Amino acid sequence: MFGRQSRRKAASALFTGFCVFAAGLSLLALFGILWSLITNGLGGIDLAVFTKSTPAPGSPGGLANAIMGSLMMCALAMVFAVVVGILAGTWLAEYAGDTAYGRTVRFVNDVLLSAPSILVGLFVYELVVKPAGGFSGYAGAIALALLAAPVIVRTTEDSLRLQNKALRESGVALGAPMWTTIRAILWKAAAGGLLTGALLAFARISGETAPLLFTALNNQFFSLDMSKPTANLPVVIFNYALSAYDDWRRLAWAGALLIAAAVLSVNILVRALSREQKRR
Amino acid sequence: MNAPPAPESFETFVQDIPAAEVKMAARELNFFYGKSQALYGVSIPFAANKVTALIGPSGCGKSTLLRALNRIYALYPGQIAKGEILLDGENVLARGVDLGRLRARVGMVFQQPTPFPMSIYDNVAFGVRLYETLPKAELDDRVEDALRRSALWNEVKDKLSASGLGLSGGQQQRLCVARGVAVRPEVLLLDEPASALDPISTAKLEETLVELKKDLTIVIVTHNLQQAARISDNAAFMYLGRLVEFAATERLFENPHTAKTSEYVTGRFG
Repeated sequence: MFGRQSRRKAASALFTGFCVFAAGLSLLALFGILWSLITNGLGGIDLAVFTKSTPAPGSPGGLANAIMGSLMMCALAMVFAVVVGILAGTWLAEYAGDTAYGRTVRFVNDVLLSAPSILVGLFVYELVVKPAGGFSGYAGAIALALLAAPVIVRTTEDSLRLQNKALRESGVALGAPMWTTIRAILWKAAAGGLLTGALLAFARISGETAPLLFTALNNQFFSLDMSKPTANLPVVIFNYALSAYDDWRRLAWAGALLIAAAVLSVNILVRALSREQKRR
Repeated sequence: MNAPPAPESFETFVQDIPAAEVKMAARELNFFYGKSQALYGVSIPFAANKVTALIGPSGCGKSTLLRALNRIYALYPGQIAKGEILLDGENVLARGVDLGRLRARVGMVFQQPTPFPMSIYDNVAFGVRLYETLPKAELDDRVEDALRRSALWNEVKDKLSASGLGLSGGQQQRLCVARGVAVRPEVLLLDEPASALDPISTAKLEETLVELKKDLTIVIVTHNLQQAARISDNAAFMYLGRLVEFAATERLFENPHTAKTSEYVTGRFG
């Protein structure tokens, strides 16, 4: 009897130990990345990074054009992806049920969710860039939106499905049409999940390089015109990090740090906001 | 549809209620979840300004009957009711019935409290705003009135703008009653409203219901026989999708007409 118990205890301790070890390993990787970003990138960040555009090798410059381009493309992509993603996810959760059309959409969305981003880039290249006769920020935004939307569709459907069935019925039982029930009650109840989905999508696209190589390409100069090739952080990082020039490589590190910081701070902000909302 | 399973042979009894006192009634109601039948020819009257309790063992069809009355089942394709459900003599199962209007007239409170993720005030005002555009002062009155009638006003009057989710379970359930009452329905359906509540909250809810029946007709599903005996005027015992006995509560509990009811209320099965 005693032997079995101590054996169980040992097994339990061993298992817990493995879990702690695995968790530590992933944390170690994360902190390793953050550490190298901070040590290498922080030195490159100064005012010029935000005010000057990408320079020729050897001359002073910054990332202003790339930051602006990334912001514009991400923002446009997110607007598109949030609208389409939330509506499609809501349809899947509330209306589609187990119909053939619903199952098909769900399956295709799952495929799209794991589609290699370089394929999405090629797809938009064929569909938008070639017919339009050139690279553009709009094409970049479309590619990013195609990557972001499936994430939002999935998280929207999941978080709406998590809501209590009786909550849905309560709205309808008061005489509210289904649409009003969804808009005024279910979306509110699922707000945390919807927000998290949008955030995950933003995190996913903010560092995407491959699809932008085929669509937005790059631009030496600061520009707000998205119908032209548009500078963006990932492609600049990609080009500069592989270059032979020290100052370019320093800018690449700075850009990488900026992306990481942006994703991290948006994460923290949203968490704080949703906690605040819960408290009220 | 598929043939019903051979009915267990038991006698049934349905007490008559004068037509003038009937607010709502089911007539020869059959209900199907897809291919499986859950109700078999249920005919039952619900008297105006009375509490009618639906009792019976799990799976007997009492919740199904309740959910047919406001057609909430219509949310789910595959759930079908056949027969008649009369509200003031009109068949609500007929085609072309405005389900929104029907549900505004026949309110419902669920087993789990389901406050909406908004303030206490907005919870109560939600249903009112759907069908009426009231000036602020009048809406305030409606909200206060509904909260008073649900015996919740004194506990929440100072925090109407606080979230409904912050209330205790019992308060949340009374908030749900207030939300239903604010729409001024004619009938209120309750599906085991006290099963998630502690005894004190349950007692408060029961007092509320007895108070409310002055203004509306109440139908309540309950597992708790003592509760049915305490608050209902009429009671219906259901078994295997059939109505076995409908009678005045006192009669049904103390001197039931049928052997099956007698077995159930004395605790010999169920």
